[in-house]
Amino acid sequence: MTNIQDFSGYPPTWCPGCGNHGIGIGLKTALVQLNLDPSSVFVAFGIGCSGNMNDFLNAYVVHGLHGRAIPLAIGMKLANHKMPVIVVAGDGDCYGEGGNHFLHACRGNHNITVIVHDNRVYGLTTGQSAPTAKKGYRSKSTPTGIIEISLNPLTLALTQGATFVAQTFAGDASHMIEIIKQGIQHKGFSLINVLQPCVTFNKVNTYQYYQKKVFKLGENYKKSDLRSALEAAQGNRDEKYPLGILFQEERLTFTDQLSQIQKGKTLLQNERFSAFDDLFKEFS
Amino acid sequence: MKHSWLIGGEAGFGIMTTGLMFSKISSRRGYNIFDYVEYPSLIRGGHNAYEVAFSLEEPYDFKPTIDCLVCLNQKTFELHKDRLASDSLVIYDDHDFMLEGDYVKVAIPFYNILQKLKGDSIMKNTIALGASLAIMGADLTEADDIFQDQFGKKGQEVVDFNKKFAEEGFNFVKNNHSQKIKDWLIKKDSDGKLVMTGNDAFSLASVIADCRLYVAYPMTPSSSVLSTLAAWQEKTGMIVRHAEDEISVINTALGGSFAGVRAAVGTSGGGFALMVESVSLSGMTETPIVIFISQRPGPATGMPTWTEQGDLLFTINAGHGEFPKIVLAPGGLEEMIELTVKAYDLADVYQTPVVILSDMFLSEGHRTISNKFINQFISNYKLNRGKTIIKTQESKYLRYQITADGISPRLIPGEKGVFYQANSYEHLEDGHTTEDSIARKQQVDKRNNKTLTYLTNDFQLPKVYGDLEKAEIVFVAWGSMKRPVLEAQKLLIEQNKQSAVIHFSYIYPLDEKKIKPLFSTNKRYVLVENNSTGQFGKLLRQETGINITEKLFKYDGRQFTGKEILEKLIMKNYD
Repeated sequence: MTNIQDFSGYPPTWCPGCGNHGIGIGLKTALVQLNLDPSSVFVAFGIGCSGNMNDFLNAYVVHGLHGRAIPLAIGMKLANHKMPVIVVAGDGDCYGEGGNHFLHACRGNHNITVIVHDNRVYGLTTGQSAPTAKKGYRSKSTPTGIIEISLNPLTLALTQGATFVAQTFAGDASHMIEIIKQGIQHKGFSLINVLQPCVTFNKVNTYQYYQKKVFKLGENYKKSDLRSALEAAQGNRDEKYPLGILFQEERLTFTDQLSQIQKGKTLLQNERFSAFDDLFKEFS
Repeated sequence: MKHSWLIGGEAGFGIMTTGLMFSKISSRRGYNIFDYVEYPSLIRGGHNAYEVAFSLEEPYDFKPTIDCLVCLNQKTFELHKDRLASDSLVIYDDHDFMLEGDYVKVAIPFYNILQKLKGDSIMKNTIALGASLAIMGADLTEADDIFQDQFGKKGQEVVDFNKKFAEEGFNFVKNNHSQKIKDWLIKKDSDGKLVMTGNDAFSLASVIADCRLYVAYPMTPSSSVLSTLAAWQEKTGMIVRHAEDEISVINTALGGSFAGVRAAVGTSGGGFALMVESVSLSGMTETPIVIFISQRPGPATGMPTWTEQGDLLFTINAGHGEFPKIVLAPGGLEEMIELTVKAYDLADVYQTPVVILSDMFLSEGHRTISNKFINQFISNYKLNRGKTIIKTQESKYLRYQITADGISPRLIPGEKGVFYQANSYEHLEDGHTTEDSIARKQQVDKRNNKTLTYLTNDFQLPKVYGDLEKAEIVFVAWGSMKRPVLEAQKLLIEQNKQSAVIHFSYIYPLDEKKIKPLFSTNKRYVLVENNSTGQFGKLLRQETGINITEKLFKYDGRQFTGKEILEKLIMKNYD
């Protein structure tokens, strides 16, 4: 058995009251409850306040470039598909700079868990608009209000083929832990969009704001139904934020479909190829 | 004797397949070949020309004249007649056009044969192949074998159908043009040769080096590496991923490399431009990666299906910040195999990006390589993963441990009780982020020390061909320019002039102390490059202080030939 301390690196440097503290503890708790240890987890971090968790979480980690955590995670999974692979990224990181990787990873159903810290603002660069900012949001980069409407990560993931799409709230620890656990256990591409207040730069989407506007999907909600999921996901546009697993289905993952790694061994563990004569034939 | 054969026709009508068959038949009959295709960046509608040079010695480049021109349409004749001599053979159909001029005319009734055998116009190629083999003194043994290999799976009918067309062309020559038959392709003893492109050689070498993850986005002229490795993947066990863009390509490869497998990416200049930020990530996190770049003329989309050596300085300078990088540029198939395998070793040993720099000329032209060379290479090769470890003896594992040679032990993730981060931020020895001035300087020095270690342990001097002492002219070239300058050297010998060639394949970093003695004499040094600014000349000057003032450049999308080099050299003398 491991404990939270085993996963804890440096003390976090996030602003007091930042939602990242809750997400960090939530992730570590989920890992402990899943009986994992720091040597049995891969994590790929993007760049941003969320990515700074690299120093506060113990695991086999790559702290990559802004926007590029998903392809790093896919590479880790291809090489060693037996290890769980988690991506920790921000909204600008994953939906802006890395948007292309995000939608293609949904299509591929790569068995990775993507946890996005969605605070609708760029924190580390001191307060510009994020792709998830609400239309009209005034920031350092959009002083007269952002012209674009906000990106909806939930509908984007649902329509591109993600097999686990969930939303949770940094202010609800027990809900978040449960969702992260289920996301890691899910076989396939999991998106967990975490609504997270930025106490320093986002004075609109605060804890109080979300506490009023979030609701949990009820017991009768059918998470296997894509149409219901798309309808629920519209809540983000209408400021009625659904919390819970909007959609989950079983579909073969990317690595399930690679014959190269179907014999119980990972790509890393496979025997070295030596039947070169087979390859020469086409050149003679 | 070197001979040349060129077949031309409308794009999309099987010229490529027939050309490659001619190369393979020549190789199986004991000859060394070199072939190259000129084609526009179109799938249909343009003109294709496939040229093969063959001789018992290795042909370095094409002949100025075409010995046998196969015209599947009149345009072929119009485009290539300038290279015909009065003893050149011209295969054509007098139903298509009247051939005027003083050549050895070999009229073949393609149209009538197609009518008689009820074949589509694509079968013209096969008739032409049979006719070509007959006129050069070959028989159909190898062609029939290749039809069997190629179409056997589709059934004997398909094999026989193809054979029939080749036979018809072959017999027509035997019966109607017997007095014109040459002995250029009579069978010779040979110890076994393979016919492959530079891209094929990179692919094969990647498998030899135990690369397990190849990621790419298609881009001419590198794309055939992706298709070749993908076609092999169920056999070799390599995972080949065609990712959504080049940024994903390199990051996927780096993720796999971090997790412990050898990984590579392939692209051309434009795709590499998209990868550049992550090249720097490889340098900072010290994650090994092999990058295959096949150059084509730029800037921007440029001329996708033509050749140039225009991305050398871009490649060397790619990536923000300062970190070690190794660039190798093979001059032919053997070097492509040796240097590619070396690149995988160097990437592991120095935990940094290693680039193989090719170009269209080397990547897509076929050449012969001896079976024996490859087999010996494979049996002699011992994988060297440097300080890659799967277990650590230290009580606290330090990913970025300060060492004298700059190289820290790299643990493949998985060992129990251990964890670490590969960090894109500046970091302490244990991988944690730092902005401390002392730690920063230590890590910069550590990374830079890897370059010094490389120069001491692995850097190789350029190869010198000919006698530097006796040479009147010394050609300086790099990468795929090797063969053209060797051809120029050969032509000079015919004029009783001594020359030497200094050919660089270990392009970057360069070792000033080791290189300088090669340039110490009062010789006439001539830099030959396939670009417009002399990029290697600039690099050589920057790294060693050697300044070559006489320069020959070509940048029209075509490779220099030996003859062109000499012509330019003579023109320069009159300047």
